[in-house]
Amino acid sequence: MTGFLVRRVAGALVILLIISAVTFYLFYAIPRDPARAFCGKICQPETLALIRHNLGMDEPLFVQYWHWLTGIVAGRDFVQFGECPAPCLGYSFATQEPVFGAIVDRFPVTLSLTVGASVVILAFGIVTGMIAAWKVGQPLDKIASASSVIGASLQIYFVGPLLAFYLVDTLQLIPRPSYVPITESPVEWFTHLMLPWVVLSIIFTANYTRMTRSQMVEQLAEDYVRTARAKGMSNRTVFFRFAWRGAMIPIVTIFGVDLAVLLGGAIITEQTFSLHGIGELAVRAVQNTDLPMLLGVTIVGATAIVVLNIVVDVLYAFIDPRVRLS
Amino acid sequence: MRSHSRRIASITAVLAAGALALAGCAKGGGGGAPQGAAGTTQTPLENKAVSAISVGTAADSAGPAPEVPGAKPGGTVYMIDRDDFSHLDPGRIYLNYNSSVSKLFTRTLTAYKHEPSGDIKLVGDLATDAGTTEDGGKTWKFTLKDGLKWQDGSPITSADIKYSFERLFADFITEGPDYAETWLVPDPNKPFRDQYKGPYDGKELDTIETPDDKTIIFHLNGEHPDFNFTVAMTGYGAVPKAHDTKQKYDKQPFSSGPYKIVSHITDKSMDLERNEHWDPKTDPIRHAYPDKFHMEFGVQAQQSTERFMADTGNDKYAFTFHNAVAAERVQEVLGNPELMKRSVQGLTPFTTFYNINTKRITDINVRKAIIAAWPSKQIQQISGGEINTGKIATTVLSPTVLGYEAFDLYGKLAKPEGDPEEAKRLLAQSGNPNPTVVYAYNQTPTQEKITVAIKEALTKAGFKVVAKPLNPTTYYDAIGVVDNKYDIYWGGWAADWPTGSTAIQPLFDGRLIADNASNYSHLNVPEINEAIDKANEITDAAEAGKAWAAIDRMIMEQAAIVPEYYQTYFGLYGSGLGGVKFDPIEGEQSALDIYVKQ
Amino acid sequence: MTTVSWSGEPGTSRGPGPFLSVRDLSVEFSTEDGIVHAVDGLSFDLEKGTTLGIVGESGSGKSVTNLAILGLHDPAHTKISGEIWLEDQELISAGSGTMEKLRGNRIAMIFQDPLTALSPFHTIGRQIGEVYRKHKGASKKEARERAIEMLRRVGIPQPETRVDHYPHEFSGGMRQRAMIAMALVCDPDLLIADEPTTALDVTVQAQILDLLKELQQQFGTAIILITHDLGVVAGTADNVLVMYAGRAAERGTVREVLREPRHPYTWGLLSSMPRLNSPVDVPLKPVRGTPPSLLNPPPGCPFHPRCDYAELAGPELCFTQRPSISPETGHGDACYLTLEQKRDLRTATTEDRA
Repeated sequence: MTGFLVRRVAGALVILLIISAVTFYLFYAIPRDPARAFCGKICQPETLALIRHNLGMDEPLFVQYWHWLTGIVAGRDFVQFGECPAPCLGYSFATQEPVFGAIVDRFPVTLSLTVGASVVILAFGIVTGMIAAWKVGQPLDKIASASSVIGASLQIYFVGPLLAFYLVDTLQLIPRPSYVPITESPVEWFTHLMLPWVVLSIIFTANYTRMTRSQMVEQLAEDYVRTARAKGMSNRTVFFRFAWRGAMIPIVTIFGVDLAVLLGGAIITEQTFSLHGIGELAVRAVQNTDLPMLLGVTIVGATAIVVLNIVVDVLYAFIDPRVRLS
Repeated sequence: MRSHSRRIASITAVLAAGALALAGCAKGGGGGAPQGAAGTTQTPLENKAVSAISVGTAADSAGPAPEVPGAKPGGTVYMIDRDDFSHLDPGRIYLNYNSSVSKLFTRTLTAYKHEPSGDIKLVGDLATDAGTTEDGGKTWKFTLKDGLKWQDGSPITSADIKYSFERLFADFITEGPDYAETWLVPDPNKPFRDQYKGPYDGKELDTIETPDDKTIIFHLNGEHPDFNFTVAMTGYGAVPKAHDTKQKYDKQPFSSGPYKIVSHITDKSMDLERNEHWDPKTDPIRHAYPDKFHMEFGVQAQQSTERFMADTGNDKYAFTFHNAVAAERVQEVLGNPELMKRSVQGLTPFTTFYNINTKRITDINVRKAIIAAWPSKQIQQISGGEINTGKIATTVLSPTVLGYEAFDLYGKLAKPEGDPEEAKRLLAQSGNPNPTVVYAYNQTPTQEKITVAIKEALTKAGFKVVAKPLNPTTYYDAIGVVDNKYDIYWGGWAADWPTGSTAIQPLFDGRLIADNASNYSHLNVPEINEAIDKANEITDAAEAGKAWAAIDRMIMEQAAIVPEYYQTYFGLYGSGLGGVKFDPIEGEQSALDIYVKQ
Repeated sequence: MTTVSWSGEPGTSRGPGPFLSVRDLSVEFSTEDGIVHAVDGLSFDLEKGTTLGIVGESGSGKSVTNLAILGLHDPAHTKISGEIWLEDQELISAGSGTMEKLRGNRIAMIFQDPLTALSPFHTIGRQIGEVYRKHKGASKKEARERAIEMLRRVGIPQPETRVDHYPHEFSGGMRQRAMIAMALVCDPDLLIADEPTTALDVTVQAQILDLLKELQQQFGTAIILITHDLGVVAGTADNVLVMYAGRAAERGTVREVLREPRHPYTWGLLSSMPRLNSPVDVPLKPVRGTPPSLLNPPPGCPFHPRCDYAELAGPELCFTQRPSISPETGHGDACYLTLEQKRDLRTATTEDRA
């Protein structure tokens, strides 16, 4: 287990290095000069040169990248922005705040959003999928299957404003989505994020309903499930202890992959509801060709996905003893 | 006079590349006008000056600001907008968006007073009047009012003002205007930072004199009769030496105005509370009716429009500095009298135009034919119509500039859809009735449609049109080359203060032609260059205005550009607010007269 | 040696009779293509302490019959008729609660492929123990001890450690032993072994069969051994039931059926089986053709399309009439040929091979 973790973490670091280097290099392939953004409307060449120097952009690319890397460990000092304490991912070109701080500030929002949505997706998707599998061929199964198809065809940017209009503006059932720190008020946190959770989870939930259902149906036809019946295990035991375990393996695997997609969905959801999360940062960074922010968000996003995948692998081994972490 | 060799980059160069720092400058920048709504059915406004701009007297400069009828102090005003303020350190502010909010906590030597009549007066803000010069604009004297205080109660002195200018030479202050810096060093033709490095190493700038606590005297290296307009820019706002946190000042400026920042979470929110040391009796332009401002960022135009329309909860007490009505909602808003009652509209200082490359199209009749044939009306309709895009322009100067004169040399208002017959007549005089022109454009969906309309209209007049799509991210790099291979290409500009000098000189002074400079039409007419120099020396603002208007006419006679729009602003606010006004200097909503209805 | 009695009167109420009695059992599945007659009017009995081998090709209804005994068919898609008596308990009409209590307790089953038939997610010990807990109300600790005891009994070395292993950590033979341990944990009266050795190599096969025999002698368990391998039957079973297309083709004691097979299908099965004493260069003769579709069974004798002697019984008989097993007790078969015809044909084919 320890060996597995060490190897996976080392591999992850290599991946993150490659991602950051590629992002860094690609950014400089874009034919535009970020220093321009720090120069007044009538920009004199010497001012532009000064800004490049202030930003460390007058150095060769690999030196700049090296500075970026060492900054993470040792911090940096920018003339343009002032001190950047470690871990320093640089200053945003657009908002001129430390990238690391910006990400840390917004992390709870995206985390709340994705974790909450994951809970909705897994809880709701798996439960409805199980119900559908339990009642295969019956109306309940058909309703679950049909609604999962409808759900999968919905889009966040369509459902989001629609639900907001009815539930928030017209019926005033729930508060307008926003982020209230859970430390401030767990209740407010919950009620203000309800709508984003539901909206973000809608398309995924349907998928998980479908997947759980088909996996359960498949597992119920497996030999070992028949054995369990032959042993006199009750239907419930067979369903929840045997078949469920088997069905969860592909679900966990796919969820590991979907986490990346979920983060993508979080971006759209944050935009839809004006939530100030990492997704919003990412979109803005792209719009503004804001390299430090882009790099920071990319690295944090990649780290999150890599870490979550390690977690999923561990979880996988936990569910399926045939998988050995060695 | 500024150096001729100096390169001038357009604000739009950065805009087109999508830099957030400047994104607040003007909507529709970079040629990507909003899509959607078809042209409005409203009758077009006349092209006349939107306001009379003049220099006010000492009496005009005295506080307090005249009461807004029905306004009472108290309450919290909410502000929702797409972008957070990119800079709050006055030295780093160039954008209208940052300026508008800074007016609540940063005071300048001079400022614009908006009279109920719509007239605009340049008055003293920190100064007792709009400044005086005895030698044609080389030496400027300002006297500070009594009772001026920083947010900690300490007095605002002439030393603070001097320091505020000195720190602009620091190496980290690069984003703001640099007019004053260039004029305050001995040699305007050398980089100003080579001549003075800022106050942080203990050295002072000896061209600013402070004989006593109240008096500031600027000794410029040339005659700049509109220097009092220059110092009205937020970029020249007051920063106290005792509380200058250098780079960190950008996030936490020290207030000289009626409010102070109590919290600012980048990209999320900003909260302002009263600065009790601000004395209304010193201030001719600020009312400060609300007790608090709560500002929220990250709200897209579509969302803010919907929230204003819904008008529920705190949104009733919300306005927006910058967000315009979303294009797809314009018709709905126009058709709703209740919403129109709480709408704000007006002309911004931003103008857009199509540069005609005079280096390539040397025959003036061909240039005139292009203007005559131009499908202005069609373009306006494709872009979204007059109310949320712009009024069809016929001049270089915007109606928001002092001295603006309305004229229409090519009858564009009579035939806004283009006059192919007149164009044909002009082309016949040129000797080539079927010239080929290369039209370069930003390849966006809207611009594709506009290009079709332009191609059609010019072809009808006899032109052969080659349309050349350019990548939006490198558009300005492509057209910025002096030896570019294009004949016509879009551009935009806004004057830094409402006189002709910053509206005309960067664009049409032939001595400034250089790669990536803003004279994209490459116009180099000695008479115009000379006239610019003369106009720059006129001390009387009204006289100077007339001179600039005359230059405007000369440029239009040269047919160097096809004016496109005087850009318009159209925004909404909540029903619980009064005193929400349009600020034609910044081209967006103003917070200075706002009050909560009680 | 025990005898098997074949009762001819289905559906009558029972006094003291055989331990297990299947009467006129029919199993039909409804599928999208139509109704599959998987088992059609099957009857047989089984006494305690004896082993019945059920032999037939895939799809002949062997497994379906036994799943019917356990009540494991999905009621939504299956129609079961007839009677199955386990002593004085009728199983087809029994409720699901009753069946749950019987399964794993009085009736246990061993499946063909122990790798897929054991849950990969639970330890062997847990899988054995949970049966014991369920039926005997034992504690976790007792169940674990019982599991270790069972593993030891079926000959698994170091049962104290193996009990905590997962099936994938066992070899094929060990897994099947574990499976047997699981089946026997509650000392069942009836053990159904569905091709218990098919997935195993030959030496392990013999060990497993020996183990079953040994356990039977020890506990007097009745065993149904399902197989397509007559060799296995010869070494293990007391009685044999040959099934074809969901029906009984022939039945009798092992000696009767293997020595004097009467049904042409049984002949086919026997001739497709290698013998130690036959020359290696003589090719095996598998039954020609393929098993009939149970969706649309052929009219008449279901075996007639593959039978070489269908004409001998008369011009029409085999093609239109369905033979039932006779005589009703003892060595019987379902074929219209006369005993003499069968004997002659049998002698001829055996000589052919020799």
